Amino acid sequence: MIVAAFRSEWVKLKRPNLLVGTYAGLALAASLFAILLFAQAPARGGGDLPSLAQLAQPNGLIHGVNRAAVLLGVVAFGIAATQIAGEYSLGTLRQLLVRQPRRAVLLAGKFLAVLAFMLGAVVFASLVATVAAFVMAHARHVPTGAWTSSAGITDLARALGDLLVATVGFTIFGLVVGLLFRSSVTAIIVGFAYLLPFEAVVTRIVPHTATWLPGQLLQAIATGGQEAAGFPRALILSAVYVVIAGVVATVVFVRRDVTA
Amino acid sequence: MRSIRTVERMSSGLAVITTGLTKEFGERRVVDSLDLAIPSGSVCGFVGPNGAGKTTTIRMLLGLIRPTRGSGRVLDGDLDHPASYLAGVGALIESPAFYPQLSGRDNLLALVRLGRLSPSAIPGVLERVGLADRAGDRFSRYSLGMKQRLGIAAALLPAPSLLVLDEPTNGLDPAGIVEMRSLIRSLADEGMTIFVSSHLLSEIEHICDRVVMIRSGRSVFQGSVAELHGMRTSELVIRTEQPGQLGDLAQLLCDRGLAVQIEEASGSVSVSDAVALAGELNRAAFDAGIVVAHLAERAGSLEEAYFALTGTHSGDVEAVGALGEIQ
Repeated sequence: MIVAAFRSEWVKLKRPNLLVGTYAGLALAASLFAILLFAQAPARGGGDLPSLAQLAQPNGLIHGVNRAAVLLGVVAFGIAATQIAGEYSLGTLRQLLVRQPRRAVLLAGKFLAVLAFMLGAVVFASLVATVAAFVMAHARHVPTGAWTSSAGITDLARALGDLLVATVGFTIFGLVVGLLFRSSVTAIIVGFAYLLPFEAVVTRIVPHTATWLPGQLLQAIATGGQEAAGFPRALILSAVYVVIAGVVATVVFVRRDVTA
Repeated sequence: MRSIRTVERMSSGLAVITTGLTKEFGERRVVDSLDLAIPSGSVCGFVGPNGAGKTTTIRMLLGLIRPTRGSGRVLDGDLDHPASYLAGVGALIESPAFYPQLSGRDNLLALVRLGRLSPSAIPGVLERVGLADRAGDRFSRYSLGMKQRLGIAAALLPAPSLLVLDEPTNGLDPAGIVEMRSLIRSLADEGMTIFVSSHLLSEIEHICDRVVMIRSGRSVFQGSVAELHGMRTSELVIRTEQPGQLGDLAQLLCDRGLAVQIEEASGSVSVSDAVALAGELNRAAFDAGIVVAHLAERAGSLEEAYFALTGTHSGDVEAVGALGEIQ
């Protein structure tokens, strides 16, 4: 039954505007990060950007991906929130629930479909950004031999894995916010306002909060761990948040009357 | 437990039965102890003023809203477990809701996949509602009537035993309304049970064989359309040979304690509940020197029965809207 809900949701997700728009948009944005990173990289170290020498290291390829992590997470959040909130605002949820009254099943199928869609988009964007990084490395005479070494490929795979795990978290939070607000516009405004300016301001004023705010933790996972929040802590705490959010979403979805 | 046993005992031959169905939103009771009994194979109208609780009732039957109290069975499945009966139910709830960026066909495909139905059902239902030629168009480009027809097509996808339609003629032009009536009748002829809500009595009169009327969430009438017709009051219409004698006739009737209304436009008076007195009144008029040129019984309208039962009157906003469209 979950497979049926997944396949039903996929009819909606595969429409050209959304599919091409999301995949191409994310690929373009991730590539842009890679292009700018290589274009602006200084010859010697120092400053915020990695130097050309650092980019030539086995892990040089993942710098661009890491820079795009926040963007990818925010997009995953937005699409997930829109997909579920839209069912309320369009009124389509009542049609769906007549055909699949087991609400938890419907929610699980929808979640898995949106997640698959977003994971595909992230993988595709990462591949395109990798190609862009190779092109830019050639343009700036950065040797890429280390990138294709076993260490380089391992680093890239790990970075991509981290990014995908973070995408799962952002997608679940998007679903929860969409479910709670039942309006795409409100969910996007509230979610983006929280993830971007709010958490940024709070962590700037009280730096310690970066170790437990969910958006910061997911960013830490996406980038393989940060100074404020190490990877293991970020992973465990995020898992706790995701489980709580998932339970809340399911209970709300199953128990709430559908009046839209 | 007693109500559940009662429901079980009564459920044979009934597509829908509820006992004491109640829904409260906070302090507000929207549906109040509603007992429904819809025979299998019937076309049952669900009528009431706006805000009477029709849509809330329908949503409870479809498992979208949880009843506060009461019990029921739909297609012999327990109302508390919608999954036990919804596979056999098709529904159009309020305005048709679909994904605007998807074509009509893809919208149906999403529902087919969700309900694990056969995709081969799609062309048939599109053909049946006259949308086969426009199935590839985006839903957002459909007219209101086409959207409504797609909603019906979606409801027909599972080849349902029970079809629940909430205001199915909303937004349809007169030709569309006639088509919709014809479609509903043809579905009923195939043995489908149809539960159709409307605030338009003419709809109910044309397509239904049973009626449930509700007001403020409570049932005020439940029975056949013929029974409803039987509840209409009749009046006597009298026209005098000399128009100048109309006032004298009205006075004569008033003196006998009858409720009289002068109808200037037709030059006649109407007398409520006086059909049995026709001969006596004719003689009394003759004795008073008034020559009656026309005397006939006029059945009260179905709308009047509706207003009497629902407690609304033609001055109410809802009633005026309904009456206007009825006429």
